[in-house]
Amino acid sequence: MGELAKTSLYERHLALGAAMVAFGGWHMPLQYREGIVEEHLATRTGAGLFDVSHMGRFVVHGAGALPFLQRVLSNNAAALDPGYAQYTMIPDEAGSARDDAYLYRFTAGEYLLVVNAANRQGDLRYLREMLLSFPGARLEEVTETMAMLSLQGPTSRAILQGVTDGGALPEPLKNALATVSIAGSRVLAARTGYTGEPLGFELFLAAAEAPRLWDLLRERGATPVGLGARDTLRLEAGLPLFGHELGSDPAGAAIPIFASPLARFAVSFSPLKRDFVGREALARQFAAYRKIREEDYSLLSDLPRLIMPLALRGRGIARAGCAVFRDGRSAGFVTSGTMVPYRKTEGAGLATRFTGERGMRAIGLMLADSRLKKDDEVDVEIRGTRVPAVVVPFHLRSDAPPHAMPILARPIKEVPLPEAGNWQGKARDLLAKALANTRWRQEECVNLIPSEQTASPLVRRLSVLDPAFRYAEHRSLPSFYDAEVFYYQGTDFIAGVEELLRGEMARYLGCREVEPRVISGQMANAAVYSALVDHLNREDRKAEPRRIRTVLNNHIIRGGHLSAQPMGALRDFVRIDPRHERPAVVNFPVLAGNPFRIDVEAAKQVIAEERPELIIFGKSMVLHREPVKEIRAFLTAQGIETLVLYDMAHVLGLVGPLFQEPFAEGADLVTGSTHKTFFGTQRGIVAANWREEEKRYTLWESVRSRTFPGSVSNHHLGTLLGLLMAVYEMNAFRDPYQRAVLENAKAFAGALSDAGLAVAGDPGISFTETHQVVVTVAYAKGVETARRLEANNIICNYQAAPDEEGFTAAGALRMGVQEMTRFGMGPDDFRELAGYVREAITGRAVKEEVIAFRRRFRELRYCFAAEEFGGLMETLHRMA
Amino acid sequence: MKKAEEIQLPDELRYSVDHEWVRMESGSARIGITDYAQDQLGDVVYVELPSIGARFAAGAVFATVESVKSVSECIMPLAGEVIGVNAALNDDPALLNTSPYGDGWMVLVKPDDPSAGGGLLTAGRYREHLGGAA
Repeated sequence: MGELAKTSLYERHLALGAAMVAFGGWHMPLQYREGIVEEHLATRTGAGLFDVSHMGRFVVHGAGALPFLQRVLSNNAAALDPGYAQYTMIPDEAGSARDDAYLYRFTAGEYLLVVNAANRQGDLRYLREMLLSFPGARLEEVTETMAMLSLQGPTSRAILQGVTDGGALPEPLKNALATVSIAGSRVLAARTGYTGEPLGFELFLAAAEAPRLWDLLRERGATPVGLGARDTLRLEAGLPLFGHELGSDPAGAAIPIFASPLARFAVSFSPLKRDFVGREALARQFAAYRKIREEDYSLLSDLPRLIMPLALRGRGIARAGCAVFRDGRSAGFVTSGTMVPYRKTEGAGLATRFTGERGMRAIGLMLADSRLKKDDEVDVEIRGTRVPAVVVPFHLRSDAPPHAMPILARPIKEVPLPEAGNWQGKARDLLAKALANTRWRQEECVNLIPSEQTASPLVRRLSVLDPAFRYAEHRSLPSFYDAEVFYYQGTDFIAGVEELLRGEMARYLGCREVEPRVISGQMANAAVYSALVDHLNREDRKAEPRRIRTVLNNHIIRGGHLSAQPMGALRDFVRIDPRHERPAVVNFPVLAGNPFRIDVEAAKQVIAEERPELIIFGKSMVLHREPVKEIRAFLTAQGIETLVLYDMAHVLGLVGPLFQEPFAEGADLVTGSTHKTFFGTQRGIVAANWREEEKRYTLWESVRSRTFPGSVSNHHLGTLLGLLMAVYEMNAFRDPYQRAVLENAKAFAGALSDAGLAVAGDPGISFTETHQVVVTVAYAKGVETARRLEANNIICNYQAAPDEEGFTAAGALRMGVQEMTRFGMGPDDFRELAGYVREAITGRAVKEEVIAFRRRFRELRYCFAAEEFGGLMETLHRMA
Repeated sequence: MKKAEEIQLPDELRYSVDHEWVRMESGSARIGITDYAQDQLGDVVYVELPSIGARFAAGAVFATVESVKSVSECIMPLAGEVIGVNAALNDDPALLNTSPYGDGWMVLVKPDDPSAGGGLLTAGRYREHLGGAA
């Protein structure tokens, strides 16, 4: 092993009995005593600890750093804000990879580029040569002075949190970075890795300090993992390895970068990159790639083969270099292959559980005919025998944190249609089940879902009267002084109802204009975005319309609702920012000590810098008022023209002096769903307070036209009728209802906290200023806890807290008091309920007690009593 | 990896330089891979065994053993006909790691020359061979 280098952890590896091998010029552990299979599973089950100090590390800084990186790397380094990392290639002019790399920007002033150990010297020579054309840029090698550890797996977060004594871990987003302090060492932490684990960190620190960090992480339960399992883990995750899936193929030919599925993330053609090494070749490959995905093979010669995962169906193991055949004809080569262990599961969906047993499966990656598609059957030649295999889309998924889930190749299952006939029997069955469900939810369960509400007897019965079967499309016509013109006959009644609804809802919200035809809150938001785009382009209908320039919203991990996110209703309406090539959305900063509350001062700075064209307030996990007044004052003082939308979906029923008066505080538009804190029915509204003579009124006209005919044709007249009754009820009972809800929420939060549960929010204000209470249970235990509560007839949501990776990792519960308040529960009743919640969470069965408790609260309050209407109500019962 | 002194080499067996062991059992020879071989391989995940009735010359490849990282061929230590195979290895190849001389045996062979086992190494000689190899 002559001149091999030793990492700062060399002695640790020897002491652990590692089998050491030469790798990329280093003495590295291939495996420790337990072996590759155990190390692989330890990573998937707990946390694997890898010494990856052998990888090449270069720091790039100086005035020319960015232009230099833009030139030599394939990704868009300008997209990298401080605190983020990106996967990238070091391409050659022919569009093949010299190497693949990760670029980290921990601080604004410098970039850290991590490359493969085997390519380190070659990369260094190449980069130094390229550097000559960028006199302002500097590159320093830090491979030997800086160590690199990787901690990967479902418990990695808890382990790292446990040793961190200063600074916060990176946000729960892939590629997020942070600087933390661990036992006196400054550690750069990145949410990156090479295992497919949804939770994992790469850690950089001074080489001399690495052994101590290694020991600390081991003490907390991390399992050392060698290069052997590092390879099986990355293979299972479908991640490319240079020399196998990148570089040269088994026949020695260069592999185009776009053959790799990750190229789409690692290559950017942003105009900000201008010309870069390999651009032309990569653009050709990308064009071919897009055609191939459309099953158009006219450009196949630019990308004849793609990397794709395959799973063996027959006995044997596919190894790198094995030939692949399709219908007897050569179709490519296996680039990586082995047998990997996986954790067996049982159950389906969110109830999927690991059984504790393990299986083995032969999987691989191949470079094969680009015309192959998933589920295609191929043969792999293993020692002269052709073994059947199948093209699979992936071997592992990372979208259910905290666990990476193995995906086994299995035959496509045809879902059979239910048996024909026996229609009456089926009808009886459906009726019986619907009645049982309604009895359970209405009479035996305590409902704490904050987005739900039981409608009053009058509201629900009106909703199924005759208008439920009709159409009443209408729009205003300038020829008739903007009178509403209906397209159907027989609509006078519902036309009058809609007119009354507008007026009563406007009174409730304190505004002039209400559009009640949208049938959900999400549709309300989509109609507003569509209206804004319409409005922005109103003077030029011939050109391609431009989209909303920049949007400021609440991030989904901090409670923002889907309908305000690019992944939800916003997507088609917001432009792609050419700098970072993602939707142009920025998020409200939050207070360091309270992630549920917007940091107003920091938000002002974001607004001044980003100049959003649309600001969206409102959340689905909401404990506080939104700072509408403060932001409006800032906008006015600065003369910044922007549209302020407050999506009040959750808090529409709390509008008023006890909570917030959106228009008095300066919102331009309010949207919302009418069935959460509001009294039902399930619909949405858009509202504004502009006068007809105001400049912005034209936007309101766009809202109207993007509602109808833009979003709805039939606007569900039954629930429209029901909603008018609900607004009457709200206007009649608003003050006592809102008072009771807010008082109950504080009482419930306080009692849950007194019962020993971790209630989120500020204890100084009794945790909540809304109908919601958020309780933290334990990391990734939210789903299980919510299910346990349901088994005890307490229905609530599991909820990912702001520091959690996604809903499957949810460690919190979201509860709302609004519906049970309407059923007559007061503060003392909520205190009693808090006891049942605690007992159910700790595992005691309280179902019977909860049913008995619920029986005390069966009559809906804050609505009109049936007897007030005498004979009319009896008639209604007969007709509805 | 095991240290040299941790390698188990039962005295009653005979060994080949290719890291197979042979146990003579009333005229037939039971054959497997040594503790040293399984330790070097690491986790065995796949074994390809010959068919019953197959005939092999001494030095011929009679089976393939694969670990996560590598593929290794097993060399027949004496000429003969396969009269039994350890089918349990198909379902549980890790038996080669956990019990190389017991449940992890590979084939039972009827030797062409019943005295052929005499040419193989004793445990002591094989250990010396390993010392030289390492």
